[in-house]
Order: sequence, then structure tokens, then C-alpha cells
Amino acid sequence: MGRDFDSGAPGASNTGKATSSEADTGVYEKPATAKFTERLGSLADAYEMYKSEGTSLSVSFENDRLNEIRQGESYGISIRAVKQGKIGFSYSSKPDEIDHVAQSALRMAPWGKPYDYEFAAKADSGHTRPYDPACGEISVERSVELCENVKDIIKSIDPEATADVSIRGGLNATRIATSRGQDCREDESGFGYFVSARISEEGNFLTVYRGRGSARVIADEEILEQARETGEEFKIARKLLPFSRGKYRVLFAPHAVADLLLPIAVGVNGMNIARKTSRFVDSLGEELFDKRISLEDDPFHPDAPSGALYDGEGVPAQKRPIIENGVLKGFVHTLSTAQKCGHAPTGNGQRSVSSQPSPGLHSVIMAAGDTELDQMYRDAEGGLCVSQLLGTFTSNFLAGQVSGNVSLGFLVRDGRRAGRVKNCALNVNSFDVLKSQVVSVSKQREWVGGEYLPWLLIDGIGISAR
Amino acid sequence: MKEQLIDLAKKSGADFCEIRIEDSTQTSINFQGPELENVQESHMYGGNVRVAVNGTWGFVTFNHPDDLPRRISEAVRNARAASARSTVRSVLAPVEPVQAEVRLELKSDPRAVSLDEKIRLFGGYNQRMLDTPGITSTNVRYFDKLSSIQYANSEGTWISRECADMGMGASALAKKNGTTARGSAAQGGRDDFELFRGMDAEMDKAAKAAIEAADAPVVEGGTYTVVCDPNLAGVFVHEAFGHLSEGDNVAEDPRMQEVLKLGRRFGEDYLNIYDTGLDVGLRGYLPYDDEGVPTEKTWLIRDGVLVGRLHSRETAGRMNEKPTGNARALSYKFPPIPRMRNTCIANGPHGKFEDLIKDIKLGIYAIDSAGGQTNGELFTFTAGQAFMIRDGKVAERIRDVTLGGNVFDTLRNITGVAGDYNVHDSSGGCGKAGQMPLPVSHGSPHIKIKDVVIGGR
Repeated sequence: MGRDFDSGAPGASNTGKATSSEADTGVYEKPATAKFTERLGSLADAYEMYKSEGTSLSVSFENDRLNEIRQGESYGISIRAVKQGKIGFSYSSKPDEIDHVAQSALRMAPWGKPYDYEFAAKADSGHTRPYDPACGEISVERSVELCENVKDIIKSIDPEATADVSIRGGLNATRIATSRGQDCREDESGFGYFVSARISEEGNFLTVYRGRGSARVIADEEILEQARETGEEFKIARKLLPFSRGKYRVLFAPHAVADLLLPIAVGVNGMNIARKTSRFVDSLGEELFDKRISLEDDPFHPDAPSGALYDGEGVPAQKRPIIENGVLKGFVHTLSTAQKCGHAPTGNGQRSVSSQPSPGLHSVIMAAGDTELDQMYRDAEGGLCVSQLLGTFTSNFLAGQVSGNVSLGFLVRDGRRAGRVKNCALNVNSFDVLKSQVVSVSKQREWVGGEYLPWLLIDGIGISAR
Repeated sequence: MKEQLIDLAKKSGADFCEIRIEDSTQTSINFQGPELENVQESHMYGGNVRVAVNGTWGFVTFNHPDDLPRRISEAVRNARAASARSTVRSVLAPVEPVQAEVRLELKSDPRAVSLDEKIRLFGGYNQRMLDTPGITSTNVRYFDKLSSIQYANSEGTWISRECADMGMGASALAKKNGTTARGSAAQGGRDDFELFRGMDAEMDKAAKAAIEAADAPVVEGGTYTVVCDPNLAGVFVHEAFGHLSEGDNVAEDPRMQEVLKLGRRFGEDYLNIYDTGLDVGLRGYLPYDDEGVPTEKTWLIRDGVLVGRLHSRETAGRMNEKPTGNARALSYKFPPIPRMRNTCIANGPHGKFEDLIKDIKLGIYAIDSAGGQTNGELFTFTAGQAFMIRDGKVAERIRDVTLGGNVFDTLRNITGVAGDYNVHDSSGGCGKAGQMPLPVSHGSPHIKIKDVVIGGR
């Protein structure tokens, strides 16, 4: 949709996009919306309407060659309607079904969850996030050329590597309106790239990848530089080194640090606080982790690929500390879980248009440490650098467990990655290792999805190996 | 509709054109702890156009049905704009055009069961677990989805297909000394709501597993002989070999063709693996794939030797092999790619479970799955429950058991295949290329694997 939704001056980038109440243009045309909400307001005791529309384009190379140009349109509307103290919910991706969705939500209400909190009241975010309309104007020809250049760089470093590359961009507009007067709209832009070098040969399947998302179009230079780094890491990883089980000092790269943080994300989730399944239920204000561990949820970070001015319930999002110098400072809540816990709402209701909100972090920003990465490699001498883990999502995060195969790990010798180690796995308890086994935290950080993370050097990690 | 869609596809001007229009309704119920967290009715409507021009795919999705001619033009324009740089031709393995209507044949229709009754049924299961002393929280999810899919392509194939999909997952959480552990139960299928009744015993087992696991020690990491129950063995064959067999891993990679050369030995003579779309009622049942190709039973390993793989028309065409009806798309939002259906290890000659464990001095009995992942060569999956095996007998319960390994080594290390094949669907699904959860099934007898790496303390 993008250009149809008054999304800013063509060609302009980084336009601060404030929200508006009662905007004339956008996902709803005002007269139709006003008429509909009036009708819904007369039938429901309270309501919330969520509408989302977007377009996207992606160019993908697979197996060293152009494979697919994908152009997507997405549309959805959902309504939460309250009748006799209960919430009914319904969703449709079919345009012009707004009345059907409202009727269905009202019909579901008798079985729904009690309306024991209130939908979002009128409130402005007061913040801005980057918006780049150029994300909606990705050129097929230019993207194909860029993918070709990425492939050429990887092949120039190792002609035996197979390159997969994708470039994607898109625009999306959402609008949330409630019976309590909230009527917020948000235009979002998104751009991302993925670069991978791989080889599947007898005894050595190897994939090395890089990627990043952003609300702004990312410069070609960054993508080409990442292609070079991917190729260089691939080259190192093709050399296999022998390795035996034991306890090692391990340098966790940002991708693997993201895995280590999953138990914390699950532990501060308001759903697990309300259900009392989290270990953190009674731990606010306690020093649970090493003092160098600080995590902040920042929905407004200018470089974050994710984030929002409002959460999925229309509540203004907030920049908040979660862990500060090792001390647990906050949980993340929807309106419902906040009410259940007797806490203030935090603006963390995450959802797609087709689902009801549940608590979730926007963008996790982990504080940088004071150690240069080069020094950390030297300090990891004889240990491992773990870049990627496989299958950690099956771990028992509530218990702090992070377990998985080391899908990309390196032996560290002479202060650098000397070669790849394979057929090994780790099983750690994040709550323990992040409390008492952290050796150092890097000054350098990288984006991993919506998280901005440093490298962590950790002592005494048990590695199982064949 | 039929003639109109075929006509539009034929006139696209591309090497190949296909159109899919999908209309689905879904009812979802979710209990979390004592609360009915979500009751939801969803309507998913949309379509896509996929065209091939000089080996490049143009793929466009839409929600407005009136836009179809414009969407076809966009898909062709995109593919053409890019195809100037293409160095390969579009290659699709030939298939006979099909014209078919597939109507729903349900043993028990979920639409005939009122929402009120469904909520009572699944709420009852939830409450049963909650009432078990020691259980701190629960989660019960149920969905049923009814879909109508219209498919047409430029070769004259037209299929109008109705299908149903149902699933239920239940979990109980227990907490002891700061440790939280989970027990779970699941059910799924395509044609029989009655499967979801009478599951009280499964709920009791899930609650008991959670309570016992919260008090159980974490496994000592190392290398063990592991006996997997049919469910976990099914997940293993899906993760460890099924994904490797998908044609898009192989079709354009000469090294992989060497690694996965038909005729290569992968296991002992008693190892037989297949993937089938023919098991009516299972979630992996599929009369036609999403390219309109009739599905089949495809042998992957017979007598320990590689004999086949899972193809879309494109991957089959590039390898000069036969399409197998494995091109699947999660929904109209995605293009079809090679995916599994019901992936199985066939019965073997090693008797029953007791026969497999009797000679194991120290090992692990791993039951059910909490999920898994593979990168082609390495795999990781977590057991839902696990026990030590000591001196040929099942001994104490252990928790947080994650199995990792190398696919090729592990297949060679299967030292026992029992004769007690079982398949049991759940509510989950398979994920690949952003398409998740695709309904699949997996079945197996108990199997014994030596030298499995277990991540542990």
C-alpha cells in the first residue's frame, strides 16, 4: 500500500513519523470508519479494531543464480468486541468483510475471556521512528545486480562456495481504534538482506550467513562488505579441526548470545509472571546476573529493524530497562497480564493482525562491555568461538536451559579462529552462566534480528562431543 | 471459475503459469492456566500467481480476487525484468494434466460440534491437569481448519480441493526447587473429530510426567546408546533424513548429488524409510500436491540403500527424475517447495521394545519430542520425556535431554529396528523457508541408535 497511504514525501527518508488521532487518510477512510465504529459501538460494550495492509518485494538468488521475484500483498482486519463482560475475537484477510468480522467477534463473546481490564485509552506516543518510503520502491533490476555482485564476491574468495542471496523491502500500515478513544496509526517501512555461502560435501556441510533488517534501505556498501566477511568466515570454517569433549572457555558471538538470552526473555514475559511459572516472579530488584549484563527494551532505536510507536493493543510503547547492571528491573506486559499482576501496562502487547496480543520485547539492546574483541579472542586461547547453535528453541527456557548442536563453532588458537569444530553440542543453564561465569563483554556489538548484542566470553562451558 | 482460471493461466505469456485461490475458516481455542485465553474464528482468503520465465519464478500474492489479471501481468513483468540475466531455462518435469474435484469426506465433522461443546471438552482436559496436585500451570490448544483451494495451470490442470485439518496440544507445568518441567499430550488428524474425545488418560500422563521431571536430575552429557519411542523416532527420521531427501537440496548442487547418489548405502539392511501422501486421515495425507501432481508412497531407503527423494516438478525436471507429489505450500502466501507428507521408518526385525533394551548396560530411553531442527548434516531434537536404561531395564527419570548428531553417522548407527510401528499426529507442523507449521505426520517402530551425543551437564 505505502504510497496510497500518505506515507510521506516521495524519496524522503528518515522522516519522523508521528502518530495521529483521527487521521483523515490511512488504513481506514474516515467516513467509513466513523460509520462502522458508531455501529459497532452500539452493539458492543467495548471494542478494539486492528487493521493492517502492506506490500513487499523480494529478489532471491539460490544456488548461485536468480531464482525468484516475489511480490506480496497482505491485508487483514481483526476485532475484539466485548459483550456482557466477555471478549470475542475474529479475523479476516478478505477485504470488505469488516461487518462479518464484527458480527463474528460478537458471536464469539459469550465464550471469550473476561474483560477484566480496559482496552487502550486515547494516548499519543510522542516518539518517532524512521520511515523510508524507498523500502516500497525496490527496483528488481538493481536488486538483481546487487545479488550478482554479492555472489561474485563470495565466489572470488572461494570458488567452491554456493551463494544464496536475498534482498527484500516493503511498507506496511496499521491502525488500531478502540471504544476508549484511542485511534493510532503507524506507517512502517522495512528493508533486509540475507547473504549465505555454503557447501555440502562429504563429511562437511557448511553454511555461513549474515543478514540484517532495518527500517531504512541499507547501503549497497554494507551488503557487499558483509558478503566479504561471510566469504572470509566460510574460508576459515572449511578447515576442520579435531576436538574432544570437556569444559571450555567459550566466546559466544552475537547470534549465539541471542540464544543465551532466550530464557531471560521467557522469564520476564508477563504471561509467565501471571501464571507464576517464571523463576523471576518475586525477583524484581534482585541482582540475578553479572553486573556487566544490562538489557534494555528500546522500541524507538533508529537502527532497529523492529520496534513500534504503539504496541499491538494501541498502548504507547516504552523504552525500559529489563536488566540493569545485573539487577532485574522490569517485566513485559499486555494490558491483560499487567492487570493480572497488578503492574502498570508496559506497551509490550505483540501480535499479528490475525492473533490476540501476548507479551513480547520490541528490540533488546544489550549494553556494550569494555573489552576489545581482539583481546577476547586472545583470552579465549585454546577454547571455542561459537557462532551459531542449532535447535535451541526446543530447550526448557523456563528452567534456564539452552541446549543445541554447535552448528558453526571454531577452535581459537593464536588469538584467532583457527578452524571449525563439528559434531559437538552444549547444554547450559543461562541463569547460572550469566551470573557467575562471564569473563568479559565486548565493546563491539551487532544486530541479530531485532537485538543489538555484544560478544560474551564465558568460562566453564561443558561441550559434549562424539 | 474452472474455464476462466485455465484460460487466464494459458494466456499469461510465461513459460508456465499457475493460479491458486484459497478460502479457509479456522476455529481456535486456547486455555492457559485456569483461563480460557482465546476463542477465535478466522477467515483466510487470498490467492497467488506463479509464473516461470527463463528459469526465474515470478510470484505474486493478493487478497482482492478481482485483481487476478493484473496480478498475472505483474508476476510475468517481474520475472521477465529479471530473466535477462538468467543463465538457465525453466524446466518442469512433465505430468499429465489433471482435472479433479476432491470433496471432504469426514468420519466426524468438527463443524457439527458446537463451540460450546468443544470448549467444555478441552476445558475439561485443562481442568483435569490443573486439578492434579503439583501442577502449577497448563496450556491446552485446539484448532480446526476447513479449506477450499482452487488450482489451475497453463497446461490445463484444474483441481478444486476441500480439506480439513485438526490438532490439539496440551501441556502441564510443574515447578519444584526453582526448576520448571513440562509434560505434554497431543492429537491430530484430518477427518475425525472423535479422536479428540476420551483423552483423560493422556492428560493424567502429561501431568505425571511434568511432576516427576521437575524432581528429576539433568542428564549427564556424553555419548549414549539411545532407544527412541515411535514418536521420537518419527521426528528423528523427519529431521535427520526427510529434510535431506527434499529435492531442492540436491537438484542444482553437484556435490550433494554425489553425497546423495541413488544406490549409496546409508544403513543396515533392516533400515527402510518412506514418505507417503496416501494415509487417509493423517495430517500428512495429500491426494494432490500444490502443483496438482497426484501424491504417492515414495521409498527413500530400501534395505539400507538410497532409492529415491522428494520432488517438486522443478527439482524432478532438473534431475531428470519423476515428480513425487511433494510440492507443498503452507498457504496462498507462499510458493510450493519440496516438503514431506508422512515420513516413516518401516517395521524392522528386532522384535519389541524390551528386545531392544535388554542388552544395553547404560543408555537412555527417549520418549516423545519437544521439537527438532536440522541443517542437512547435523540435527538437534529434545525428548519430551526420558529415562536412563541400566542393565537392560528402564531406570530413573532424567530431564532436559537433547539429542544431537550427524545425520550420516546416526543412520549408520541404527542398530535395532523393532516391529511395533506406530503413528500419532500432533497439532504442530514442519517449518522450512518461512513456511510453518505445515501439517505433516511421522511414524516409526522403536529404534536403537548407538553413540548419540547427548548435551548435558
